[in-house]
Formats: sequence, C-alpha cells, structure tokens
Amino acid sequence: MIKTSVEPWIDEPLRRFVDDAGVVLALLLHPSGQVMAQHGFTKAMDVMSACALAAAIHASSAELGRLLDGKPFSGLHAGKNRQIYLAAAETARGPYIFLTVFDQGSSLGLVRIYFDEFRVNFAKAAPAPVAPPEVVLSSNFERELNRNLAVLFGRA
Amino acid sequence: MSLVNYQTREITCKIVYYGPGRSGKTTNLHYIYSQVPEDRKGTMVSLATQTDRTLFFDFLPLDLGTISGFTTRFQLYTVPGQVYYQTTRKLVLQGADGVVFVADSQARQLQENIESFQDLHQNLSEQSVDPRAIPLVIQYNKQDLPSDLILTAEELADAVNFRGVPDFSADALHGPGVFETLRGISELVLKRLSAGAAR
Repeated sequence: MIKTSVEPWIDEPLRRFVDDAGVVLALLLHPSGQVMAQHGFTKAMDVMSACALAAAIHASSAELGRLLDGKPFSGLHAGKNRQIYLAAAETARGPYIFLTVFDQGSSLGLVRIYFDEFRVNFAKAAPAPVAPPEVVLSSNFERELNRNLAVLFGRA
Repeated sequence: MSLVNYQTREITCKIVYYGPGRSGKTTNLHYIYSQVPEDRKGTMVSLATQTDRTLFFDFLPLDLGTISGFTTRFQLYTVPGQVYYQTTRKLVLQGADGVVFVADSQARQLQENIESFQDLHQNLSEQSVDPRAIPLVIQYNKQDLPSDLILTAEELADAVNFRGVPDFSADALHGPGVFETLRGISELVLKRLSAGAAR
C-alpha cells in the first residue's frame, strides 16, 4: 500500500475509507489542485496531473451548477468497470476535494456510504488552522536552483 | 499556496502563465516539455479546442530536484487568454504561488497586453491576493519577429511593467528566454516561501 499525506491528521480517516470502501485509488486535494493525501498512485507526477484535472472538473461542474441550478453540483460519478467518484469534503480549514477510483471490488453505493462517513470523520479530525512552520531554505538555495534548472534544460 | 510536506520534505509550487490570447503561454510549456528529461516531468495535459486554442488550461508538472534538502516540484499552468474565458482564468489562478505574464510583443497587440495585465490584477484582487506582493515576472515574447512589427522590450516595459518586476525578452517558439523566465519566477517563489510569506 502506498499512501502519502501532507499532514498526519488526514491519515486515519483516509486509511479507514480506503479499507472500508475497497477502492483502488484515493486522492484528497486542495481546490487549487495541490495534493493533500493519496493512496494507490505510484508516480508523484501522475498524482499532480490527477489533482490538476480533478480540481478543474470540480471547479467547472460547480460553476455549471451555479449557472444552471443556482447552487454547485456535487458528487460526480463516471465510468463502468473502472469508476470515479468526485466530491467535496468540508472542514474548519476550508473545503477539500476528494477523488476516488474503484473497480468490481467495490460499488458506487458502498463508496457513497463510506464517503459520507469519511466526510464526518475528516471534518472531526481537522485541527483548527494554524500558521505553518517557516520553510528555511539555505542561503545558497539559488545556486542549487540554478544548477537543477540547468540540468533540466540540458545546460549543465 | 505552496504546499510543504515536512514529513517527506517536499515542496510543491503552482506557477501560472497568464497573458492575452495567442501570446505564447502554451508555447512556453511546450518548449519546457521538449527540453526536460522524461524522468523529471509528468504528462503534459492540454484541455484545448479542436483548433488547439487553450480551452481550460495546460498543465505540466516538473521535478526540480532537491533544493535545501526539499524535493521541489513545480506545477506549471496556463490560462486561456481569450477575454470570454474570464471564469476559467479565475479558477486556474486560484492558489497560484507565482505568475508569469506573457506579453505579445507585436505592436498591434499592445492594448490586449494592457487589458490582460489589468485583468490579472483584478482577478488576483478578487481572490484577496495582493497583486503587488505575489511573485511576478513578465516575458516579452515574439521578440524574434521583424522589428517593424514589434515593440522593443523597453517600450513594452513602459506599458506594462510599472511595478519594475524582473522581465525577459523571449522567443518561446525556439527557446530563447524561456529558461530565463522560468528561472526568474522560480527564484521569486522560493525566496518568498523561504521568507515565510507564502500563505
């Protein structure tokens, strides 16, 4: 099992959801597209792309809902054999977006039931917002940045 | 919002390429994509129309390697430049850590540059982001075109760079200036993050 989370309080509700619902992939992200936690992905780059697209789907479907129905659409589902479910989860820290992928090992009904439970547990687990610790980059970070960018562009 | 994972010592930053339609935002990402080794980039995602105009955004994840002990990743986005995609631009701009404004150097595009720059300021303000504080660099693209068609970098700076931010002449189609622009915004974003002012 591969699972990473940016903040430890996310671990338990996510682990429980994954175990109970039997999903293949799970992704929790900030509406800006930044990953907060993931289960099942093996490449960090795939996670970032999935987050960007999930945030876009969520944002555009919410806007479409506001336009057509006066309120955002929520709880998007698609797929047949391999299915996705996308929905929002609110906390004291603000909204998050949750994307999960499941196959014949689970079902939409099961995912919805355990997602509702996850939403409650997740909101309970969220601590009050606090200022993050300061990131201290060394004084020569620009040299490292320039070196790394040069490598990226084949100029090293 | 730069995302910092202290457990795994990872930093992820969101950079948005902004500017008027056809100024070369997507071209910047294509050039970067073409230069970066396979193991340091993800799939470039383009949500475009049938005529290859950006419909929602382009997205390119980049692995910058380790900086000060942090695995550093950048997420590069473009916005659709056409005026009628205002809502989409706001969505993509959400949570940006830095902005590259790609100006079109053609003289006939001057007004579009100015309006797009004003649009950027307005959209940042609406998201409670101080447009004067967010890391920003400006790229004067298409400087390779014949001189009678384009404005010089100095003339363009007079029109849009009233903040005096770092600016770069570029020919994104062939590469000059693309690397320098990315380096410029990377430095500003990481400096700001290090100063603890990113959130």
